[in-house]
Amino acid sequence: MSTNIDHIKEEHHHQPSGLMRWITTTNHKDIGSLYLWFSLLMFFIGGFMALIIRAELFQPGLQLVVPGFFNQMTTMHALIMIFGALMPAFVGLANWQLPMMIGAPDMALPRLNNWSFWILPFAFTMLLSTLFFESGGPAAGWTLYPPLSLQGGNSMPFVIFSLHLLGASSILGAINVIATILNMRAPGMTLMKMPIFVWTWLITAFLLIAAMPVLAGAITMLLTDRFYGTSFFTAAGGGDPVLFQHIFWFFGHPEVYILILPAFGIISTIIPAFSRKKLFGYDSMVYATASIALLSFIVWAHHMFTVGMPLAGEIFFMFTTMLIAVPTGVKVFNWVATMWRGSMTFETPMLFSLAFIILFTIGGFSGLMLAITPADFQYHDTYFVVAHFHYVLVPGAIFAVIAAVYYWLPKWTGKMYNETLGKVHFWMTTVFVNITFFPMHFVGLAGMPRRIPDYAVQFTDFNMIASIGAFGFGLSQLLFVYILFQTLRQPVTAADKSWEGAEGLEWTLPSPAPYHSFDTPPKVD
Amino acid sequence: MKSVKSTITKLSLVVVAMYGFSYALVPIYDTFCEITGLNGKTNEVAYTGSDIEKENRFIKIKFISNVANSAPLYFEPAVTEMVVQVGKPYNTHYVMKNNSTKQLHTTASPSVTPGKFAEYFKKIECFCFNQQTIDSGEVKDLGIQFVVDNDLPTNIGDIVLSYTMFDITNKVVEADKL
Amino acid sequence: MNRLSALIIASLASISSFADWEVNMPRGVSPTANAAYDLHMLIFYITVVIGVIVFGVMFYSIFHHRKSKGAKPASFHESTTVEVIWTVIPFVILVGMAVPATKTLIMMEDTRDSEITLKVTGYQWMWKYDYVEDNVSFFSKLDNKSNEARQLGSKIDVKKVDNYLLNVDNEVVLPTDTKVRILLTASDVIHAWWVPEITGKKDAIPGYINELWVDIKKPGVYRGQCTELCGKDHGFMPIVVRAVPKQEYVKWVSLNQKNRVADKSE
Repeated sequence: MSTNIDHIKEEHHHQPSGLMRWITTTNHKDIGSLYLWFSLLMFFIGGFMALIIRAELFQPGLQLVVPGFFNQMTTMHALIMIFGALMPAFVGLANWQLPMMIGAPDMALPRLNNWSFWILPFAFTMLLSTLFFESGGPAAGWTLYPPLSLQGGNSMPFVIFSLHLLGASSILGAINVIATILNMRAPGMTLMKMPIFVWTWLITAFLLIAAMPVLAGAITMLLTDRFYGTSFFTAAGGGDPVLFQHIFWFFGHPEVYILILPAFGIISTIIPAFSRKKLFGYDSMVYATASIALLSFIVWAHHMFTVGMPLAGEIFFMFTTMLIAVPTGVKVFNWVATMWRGSMTFETPMLFSLAFIILFTIGGFSGLMLAITPADFQYHDTYFVVAHFHYVLVPGAIFAVIAAVYYWLPKWTGKMYNETLGKVHFWMTTVFVNITFFPMHFVGLAGMPRRIPDYAVQFTDFNMIASIGAFGFGLSQLLFVYILFQTLRQPVTAADKSWEGAEGLEWTLPSPAPYHSFDTPPKVD
Repeated sequence: MKSVKSTITKLSLVVVAMYGFSYALVPIYDTFCEITGLNGKTNEVAYTGSDIEKENRFIKIKFISNVANSAPLYFEPAVTEMVVQVGKPYNTHYVMKNNSTKQLHTTASPSVTPGKFAEYFKKIECFCFNQQTIDSGEVKDLGIQFVVDNDLPTNIGDIVLSYTMFDITNKVVEADKL
Repeated sequence: MNRLSALIIASLASISSFADWEVNMPRGVSPTANAAYDLHMLIFYITVVIGVIVFGVMFYSIFHHRKSKGAKPASFHESTTVEVIWTVIPFVILVGMAVPATKTLIMMEDTRDSEITLKVTGYQWMWKYDYVEDNVSFFSKLDNKSNEARQLGSKIDVKKVDNYLLNVDNEVVLPTDTKVRILLTASDVIHAWWVPEITGKKDAIPGYINELWVDIKKPGVYRGQCTELCGKDHGFMPIVVRAVPKQEYVKWVSLNQKNRVADKSE
């Protein structure tokens, strides 16, 4: 990306060139770029699967695929988007930004960093290859509930092994993030002076370290149940299928926050920059993030209210889940207060951030409705849930990633994207994302279950609208790719401080940022 | 760099501990189920205590049965309903018939609803403590002896006791081969 | 031009002919479903009010505090009072939601005093119903017409199939104004039984037993579906409940009991 600077550095470090440079690189910027490109690729593969799903659901009756393949598509779409698109995107942003934001030359563990990236292509090749097995890929949903997942074909051990690899990669990445943040901050940067993005990533990394091993345990038990005669999850041997759901969601709920906390950090960085005003309530933002993270470990069973828990359990998980609304509310209020009496401009990163606040909050509202156990008995496993989590993950997490890319692109490349095209991209994306996901609330409430390849005719109209929206959303992202390549072809013109209101150490570096961020640590007071 | 190393060590320990924790959840869950009656799990070993006292209180128990995975078994309760005195031991049985042409190995899994009353339903003897071997065409009576604990709260509805019979022939045969 | 507008009108008409544009949860016909509906509307209205206030403030700020209108940034960036207020107020609102929700939940979990017991067993991919006291028992699966139409490349217009995907060969018959206890279990994998207008869903788990209760107040036919992914034909195992007055139910039972006795003697 930053060719001229790289050239100088290459002479310094005798780096291999071409493909070998990328395979052997231990540089945080190179690895960050690898993560981001990989994530973009996975975003399109997962998106392609989503379009197969939406094409089949365009009208009732089966036109394109058989039900078994449809289930493989829903399962793979989720796995690819969560583990392949979103998580690597945030790790990529962390790689690029953390050293620059805390005044470090690189990540604490560069070689480990290389490993944690290069595990990913192997894991996903294996995962995707299962689609070409005779018995097909995984079809029991990304949650892999037994006994259904134990019925799966030959793909199961491969899926589990690739999930183990992905988990290992995330854990290594998280250890690296924590080691970097705790040990490599510039002198004078105390914890409570860290940029908020750094804070959210620190907390996310702890969540990863606590949650991913639990997933590893759960899927290992699945594996031994299937092949080694254990019966953790079968009633015949004294096990219980519901136990898997408990263990899975003990991982699964923190995982959800792993996907959203860094997004909060990004929004909390961009909103002040374009409001030209400091983030309102920095301290309460940090505490809110930490309390959301802690709460995430005691709310898991709200994903499984319908398994028949004792009344006390249902009440406990309903209350704790509702409680999450408090710190999340604090965040939203703080963002609004940051804008209040600011001096706002509306460049593309700001537009995506504003859309994030509104649409994520809508997802938060439906989340609050889902927390109400008696109502959840109606919502559970319908399209209302699908609408809810897509609202928090697409205009939530993905919008944050896109905003971050537009925001930091001039710093990474020294080149400015085309603002007009950026705005077109924003409006297309925002309009289509709502056309896709808003009608899902309606069909869900009207009674359409999720994970079905065909539906009763009264759900037709909203499904058609959602499918049209999905194709529009997909096409809009091609524009994003075009904007990225067009930017890379520009000459280097971006100022060191690319945005008038931007704050933070990364903007004191030249654009594009030098290969090793801070050779001498800056002084923070 | 020493501090980086100590960070890594600590974090690796957390990772290992959390992996262990996922396995620890298995016994934790069982204990939790026993306390709260989650899923209506009943005692898995015979009740041998003697602290249950007879009380002038009666409760209706319904017996139902299931056969898992449509196995070739007839499996039904001999009596579908009993009114029992709290604290007094009772006997009843289920009837199982092997409708297949070969010998089968089976095991039953009990479940009580409402789940919160499972802990008061004490089995002194139960076929569900053991596995069964049943020849082709054979009919077997499978006995239960139980007592309802006098700690059972008052003003509760009927209790339903369900057994699901699993055909585990493949698993048993495979284990024998090893 | 005329032909074009005629085409547009015709296509619009064809959409509206079978479109209900159903955008909300249906109102229920039993106490539990009604309670869920009321809670749903309550929380929905609360979130709408909160949304209008928060987004209202935000949009006011977006329109007035913009650089192009010459707004100069203020310098405040914290206020303990304000932050405490907007932590406490949501908390109070949540307590207000939690009270009716908890009451409803306690009501839903109380299966005492039910008059009849219906055992529902999930199979891949159909349901089995046992009327525990009345000795009636049968399987219920997707009706043939839907089943033919839903095959890939069937060339059958599904819009012409009666209750496409929501029709079964054998309906569950239940009496109205009667508390019915429903026991749920499964033979193979986890399923979930759901008829929105009568009751929320609950999982049917192999080896274990779950329960819920219904008390249908209005005779009619109510349709639902399996709501836990259970394999390839998960989308094709509907539920149809026909609620009839008690006398009619008793008649239905005696008719079907005989059939069962006949089956047994074979």
